[in-house]
Amino acid sequence: MSALPRPAARRSSLSPRHWVSEELFDFWAGRVHPLWTLRRARARLVSRNAASADAVTLVLRPNRHFRGVAPGQHVNLGVEVDGRRLSRSYSPTLLDDGCLAITVKQVAGGKVSQHLAQHAQVGEVFELGQAFGEMTLAATPAARVLLLAAGSGITPMRALVRQMETAGMPVQVDLVYWAQQREAVCFADELADIAARHPGFRVHLALTRDQTAPAARVGDYDFSALGDLSSAQVMACGPGGFVDAANTRLQGRVATLQSEAFTPPVLPDAETGTVRVELRRSGRTLELPRGTSLLQALETEGLRPASGCRMGICNTCVCGKASGVTRHTLTGEYAAEPATQVKLCVNSASTDLILEL
Amino acid sequence: MPAVHNRVLSAAELDAFGNELDALRARHLATLGDADARYIRRVVAGVRWTGVAGRALLFLGAFVHSVLIPAWIAGVVLLALSKILENMELAHNVIHGQYDWMGDPQLQGSTYEWDIVGTADNWRKTHNFRHHTYTNVRGLDDDIGYGLLRIFPEQRWRPFYLTQPVVAVVFALLFEWGIAIQDLRLGRWFAGKITFRQLLAQARPVGRKMGRQMFKDYLLFPALAGPFFLPVLLGNVVANVIRNVWTYVVIFCGHFTADAETFPKECVRDESRGHWYLRQLRGSSNIAGGKAMNVMTGNLSHQIEHHFFPDVPANRYAAIAVEVKEICARYGQHYNTGSLPKQFGQVMWRIVRHAFPSRPARVKPLVTAEQGA
Repeated sequence: MSALPRPAARRSSLSPRHWVSEELFDFWAGRVHPLWTLRRARARLVSRNAASADAVTLVLRPNRHFRGVAPGQHVNLGVEVDGRRLSRSYSPTLLDDGCLAITVKQVAGGKVSQHLAQHAQVGEVFELGQAFGEMTLAATPAARVLLLAAGSGITPMRALVRQMETAGMPVQVDLVYWAQQREAVCFADELADIAARHPGFRVHLALTRDQTAPAARVGDYDFSALGDLSSAQVMACGPGGFVDAANTRLQGRVATLQSEAFTPPVLPDAETGTVRVELRRSGRTLELPRGTSLLQALETEGLRPASGCRMGICNTCVCGKASGVTRHTLTGEYAAEPATQVKLCVNSASTDLILEL
Repeated sequence: MPAVHNRVLSAAELDAFGNELDALRARHLATLGDADARYIRRVVAGVRWTGVAGRALLFLGAFVHSVLIPAWIAGVVLLALSKILENMELAHNVIHGQYDWMGDPQLQGSTYEWDIVGTADNWRKTHNFRHHTYTNVRGLDDDIGYGLLRIFPEQRWRPFYLTQPVVAVVFALLFEWGIAIQDLRLGRWFAGKITFRQLLAQARPVGRKMGRQMFKDYLLFPALAGPFFLPVLLGNVVANVIRNVWTYVVIFCGHFTADAETFPKECVRDESRGHWYLRQLRGSSNIAGGKAMNVMTGNLSHQIEHHFFPDVPANRYAAIAVEVKEICARYGQHYNTGSLPKQFGQVMWRIVRHAFPSRPARVKPLVTAEQGA
């Protein structure tokens, strides 16, 4: 089993994908087997288990279009809730049989996490994106590795720990895992087992709301107990605030520091000022004003995105939005859902955005 | 032309009219969910199953000669039904972006491609943008007579139009081809505004699409029947023609009935939202009928509602229509609807009448003078 995603396969011109409509193929193939598609990676839920008091681990079987995932990477899972396909990122652990295990923490008001944790039935099929993310271990590991996880940030760390265990734990690995209380800790037994088998691996639980001895947050955490970190490769994953604090705390005091942050979208306090808009296809990043339609703002910057009616009816200017919050200029409604379509002529940027433009 | 009474609205009334329609739209968008997603997926399944059943019956007739005629007829009907459902209730609505909210890449308005010789890309331009933004505006909406027919007295008469009762029939039979070349605007080449080479370059994508469609319907499937290719080939031709005539009838009923109005270019300058809605209402007409009519016309039986809200899922139009009718009544606006024979009868009369010279009646303004642009 390869740890790294394989590149997209090159196919001969006789392959059906060159002459069959994808919609037609997927419809009929899907009648035979729910995972059969022409191109799209999909995954089927094969089992589910509680991972902690408020988290569940789902085991998914991907189809052959999924090109694999390296420990520490993420995938986007497309889950249909009330007719809408919603996309969320998870860091899966690749199991020996090729299945992916993802651990989902229930979030209050989180449509996807609640669906996955409570309603998803074995057999349900999800869209699966290809793996992404740079937080992976180098082929030749550093002298020592320090993993910092907060909350759901444990999931990529679990995959990395299992990778190191498979390799026989060649270097010292320390995992510091922040959680509010013991019931919220995921993989407690599994991590303890690995630590028991490998003296080179240590788990440091930091329970910030522990009744007897609440642990310090990352900004004040006492790293001196871990010894000399100057040669350590550090990886941090957790909410945006946690990752920022970890960066401030350790930058320059360790060999390398990689981090991944997940931050739920926050609505802005005001509709004034500017935001950063990244245009992914053209590789440009612009400062655009809030409160002005994206189409107008982009045109002011000298761009000419496709457009038509300029009043939100003809759908010519529609464009993919990877992330960020937009606001409808006519209704004032906010749209925070990632991986959706946005009409540039009747929406303005409210937060930093990533557009497929 | 029957006299229709439309109250001339004041600027304030026009704003209120627009706000009520905006609110109606928002109410429906807010409740989109599972039921709408299931509906469009049922339509997809309907297209696939009727398509495969129609083709299977054509093959059955080709190989089992004792059932040739009944199987051929049933096969043609089902294949035509599949194409009509695909073009109208699925493709037309999906291409408008009505189901973009589902996030299903196969039901995305910006990328969907349909089972017809024209390209979806051309359609997005001529239909979604030009026709829907500038509905029935002379000189901006190419759908007024498609550059081929004189439907309204405001179009300048030329002797060529004397032939249009015949031209209109030929156009109906070949409607998909007319749609396919609409965006090429051959007139510009006839007028010498572009060279033949430029025309060819523009025509390349639609040429490829035509080739693919002809290969599928007129080569691949007939060839699969080997020596009995003829009934399969004819079945495909007839199914495509039935689809052409039906879509032509439905689309012509949408904007060319007796009470449908056209508008001068000036009226879209700095147009308010309320005025835009009012223009959509005055330029569109519905076809009364039940659920079957709604599905078969891709809900263009609710042309008025479609023109108000082209990106709201069409399966909502029947419910929206109840409220639209009530709003129109309160604002004293005529709600143009009628049975298919009545509406298409008016269309045919227009085609015949305006083949001959005719003069436009005096037009009443849409709004009172102080509205001003």
